[in-house]
Parts: sequence; structure tokens; C-alpha cells
Amino acid sequence: MLPGRFYALLAPMTAAVQLSKVSKTFGAGVDAVHAFGPVDLTIESGEFISLLGPSGCGKSTLMLMIAGLLEATDGEIRVNGQVVDEPRTDIGIMFQDNTLVPWRNVEGNIALQLELRGHDPRGHKARIDALLKSVHLEGFAQRMPHELSGGMQQRAAFCQALVHEPKTVLLDEPLGKLDAMTRESIRSDLQALWMQKQPTVVFVTHSIEEAVQLSSRVCVVTPRPGRIDRVIDIDLPWPRDLEVKRSAKFANYVADIQGIFHGFGIL
Amino acid sequence: MASASSERTSLGPKWFDPLSRWAAKSWMFVIFFIGFFLFWEVSIDLFHVPRYILNKPSEIILASRADLPRLLEYTYVTGLEAILGYGIAISIAVPLGLAIAFSSILRRTIYPFFVSIEMTPKIAFAPLFISWLGFGLLPKVIIVFLVCFFPIVLNAILAFSSLSEELERFSRATGANWARVFWKVRLPAAMPQCFVGFKYAALNATVGATIAEFIGSDQGLGFYIQISTGNMRPDLAFAGIFLLTLLGLLMFGLVTAAERLLIPWHISVRRNA
Repeated sequence: MLPGRFYALLAPMTAAVQLSKVSKTFGAGVDAVHAFGPVDLTIESGEFISLLGPSGCGKSTLMLMIAGLLEATDGEIRVNGQVVDEPRTDIGIMFQDNTLVPWRNVEGNIALQLELRGHDPRGHKARIDALLKSVHLEGFAQRMPHELSGGMQQRAAFCQALVHEPKTVLLDEPLGKLDAMTRESIRSDLQALWMQKQPTVVFVTHSIEEAVQLSSRVCVVTPRPGRIDRVIDIDLPWPRDLEVKRSAKFANYVADIQGIFHGFGIL
Repeated sequence: MASASSERTSLGPKWFDPLSRWAAKSWMFVIFFIGFFLFWEVSIDLFHVPRYILNKPSEIILASRADLPRLLEYTYVTGLEAILGYGIAISIAVPLGLAIAFSSILRRTIYPFFVSIEMTPKIAFAPLFISWLGFGLLPKVIIVFLVCFFPIVLNAILAFSSLSEELERFSRATGANWARVFWKVRLPAAMPQCFVGFKYAALNATVGATIAEFIGSDQGLGFYIQISTGNMRPDLAFAGIFLLTLLGLLMFGLVTAAERLLIPWHISVRRNA
């Protein structure tokens, strides 16, 4: 029995996400705003990659384009080898403002993802329960969103975004509106989930520390129009717990990236 | 829902609890309300108000008891006009609001027309409808329909066209067809704003029916109030006004009950719970 990795090598190599000369311009003529790109980037399957940059640099724009929810002005995007020209239904997506609906409880909100896809959620009860447990929401399945704290809402939203077991997950600043302590705690749950299920994750953030802690690679995005200035491999052991975060190497990565943004005139 | 019954503080039977809570919250209003009618009762004699101007509340009650059969019959007539017009307005305005929200052609034609007609007091059409259609039920129903239709349709358009960008994208990313997104996301998300229109229109309905009856009719509470005033019987006019108030309360109460039943999760319902 050979490790699964070996068979993966035999299969034709297709990157999870491939961007070639992708750019986005809003409007036309003299009013045109060049928002993003051109960008080339290859994201391998199972990677946790962060798009790190100041607000307004087009990170979210890129994410919507990968999801097929926004058309690129130029260039080509492929997900699992297929050109993206309509909304991809095989990905999980999550925004800064969560998509929990106020008329359904936590369990019902997670089931909504399945119901919209035409699945009967009753057949997936065990999966929903396991997901809730993995983000420490067991016992909250019957609660309404307004009964939960902001952090718990985002935890529930993670379950909603992951319940259909997508191979690719796009997270657009999912922790953006939370306080520092809650962010810290959800980060480690997110990391554990990723390590367990190994989906490809594209994570949009403007927190340097968050990007270094979670990512296998960090893409440093320049101010508008956003371009990927460089891609940094984060060579730190998993899981990135408190001990790793205390290490000199971790601090160096953070300091280096701070230096880059300082060079942009942002920090 | 969230706060399960905390410790009981009163001693009586359990059904008494909501009543005592209400009393604790509203006793000041109750006293003011009773005080208002007591003041009215005594000031008629105190200020020597002639009876053809205004009666005491007690006299109004006695007079309306004497004329009760006719009052009840007319309440039925006016109530029927109001409820029919209101019901038809809802059943046409909501689908139309949905269509306008999603059709760019309707949004450029009917929608601006509706917005400009919103400035017209609809009740101004009442004499025309009476002259076209006579004294019967139909012109009143149409007038009630007119005063109810616009708030409902404008709120429905707003409701169906203001789904959050995130939910819109979330729905698209699931690949669900339009109908499924409509039933599972758009419709429930639109309900709170729709109810704003329903409630506003419920208040308009009795106003529309009353004024339509003022203009031309031979039955109904509006007719009754007008005739009683002409006969210098303010006591009977007040009886009619009281029943109109009850009718309005009943309609508004039914809509509010429907709101609590259909969207118990909404903040406006939770806050008043």
C-alpha cells in the first residue's frame, strides 16, 4: 500500500485554482477604475493560502472572481482544471457578514446550504452534528442566530459553508468583525478543521499574524490596484499553536511582512 | 423563546401571570384612560355643554344600546367593504411588487407611474367612482382597494429588491434554481418589509371605507355617522365612531397576529414580545 500522495502524482496534475493574467476593471472609459491585477497564481490542492493586503486592494474582488460570482475583465481562471465562467457550485464560500438567515435556527441554517442544493438534510444529520462539534457549538443547534454572540455566529457560518464538503473553500475576512480573543480561538478551530479535511482554502485577511499562523503560503497584495507582490512560503510546523507563535521564526515572518507593507507606505 | 420562564413572582394561578405582567406595565395608562372618560362625563354638566353638541359617555352607551341592531348591521357592511378591499389589495399588490422588483421593463414603466401616483390622495377619486358605479358595495371596495394598494405594492417592491448581497451570492453559489431560492430565501427575507405595508394599509382600510360612505351611500357606519350628525345626535355619531375604532383595531390586530405567527424571528416582533 503506497501513500495516497503517490497516486496523486500519477494523476494528471491539475491545480485547485489557477489564475492567468487575471484583472478586473470596474466601469468603462474615463470613469473606469482599475481594481485588481493582472495576477498570475497557482494554488495547489489542499493548500491554505492567504491573500494579505490593505482594505480596498481588491482581495475580495479576486475571491468573487474565483467563485464565478464576478466576471474577470481580462485573463482566465480555472478551478480544478475547468474555466470559471459561471458561479461554481463545488466550493464553499463565506463572507465577513455571515449568511445565516434570521428565520432558521443554527441547524436549519446549515441545512439551508443542503436544501438549496436539492439534498434532503435529514440524511445528513450526523454530518451536521459532527461539524457543530468541531467548532464547539454542540448544544446550540436549536438556537436562533440572534441568540448567539458574534463569534458563535461565525462558527455556525463555518458549518454552513462546509456542510456540503467542498474541496475548495473561499473565506473572505470571516473573522473581520470579531474581537481579538474570539478571533484567536476560532483560528485554531479553523486550523484543526483544515488539517482534518484538507480542503484547498483561499483566505482573505488584513491581519499579518493571522495569515502567518494559518497559511502554507501568504500572498502579499499591494494597495489598489491590487497585485500579488510576492508569495511567501510559511515553513512552520503544524499545528501552529501557542508554542509555534512564540518562536523566533514566527516573529521573523511577521516582521518581514510588516517590512514589506512598510515599503508600500502603508505601515 | 430565549429566556425560559424565570422565577415566578406572583402567587395566583398560572394563567394570571400574563395578566399581572400587563397590569404592572400598563397601570398608568389604564388610570389615564379611565380618568379621561370620567373628566368627559363630568365636564358636560360642569361646562353646560348642550346635548346637540356633545353627550356624556354614559349617554352614548345608552343610545347605542337602543340602536344596537342597526349599528351591528352597519358595522358588518363597513367591515365587509374594508376587508374585501384590503384582501384584494394584498392579493394583487404582492405578486405585482414581486414582478416589478424582478422585471427591468416593469421597473421602468409601472414603477415610476406608481411612485408619481403615490403623491395623489387616492381618496380624491372617491366621488368619481361613486358616480360611475353607484351607491352599492363595489365602489366602496374599489376605494378601499385604492387606499390600501399603494403602500402594499411599494413596500413589496422594496422588500423583494433588497436581499443582502451576501445572501444573493450565497444562493447563487449553491446553483439552486430561481423558484427554490425564492421559497427558501427571498420570500422569508421579504416578509418583514411586506408587513410594514400590510399594517399601514390595514389602518387605511377603515378610513377609505368611511370616507367612501360619507360621499355616497345608504348604509354603513360612515353613512350612520353623517346622518346622526345631521340629525343633531352626536351620541349616535360617537357610537358609530366607537365601532369604527373597534373595526380598525380588529383589522390591525389580525395583521399583527399574522405577523407574530409568520415572522416571530424578526426584530420588530421580538422587541414587542
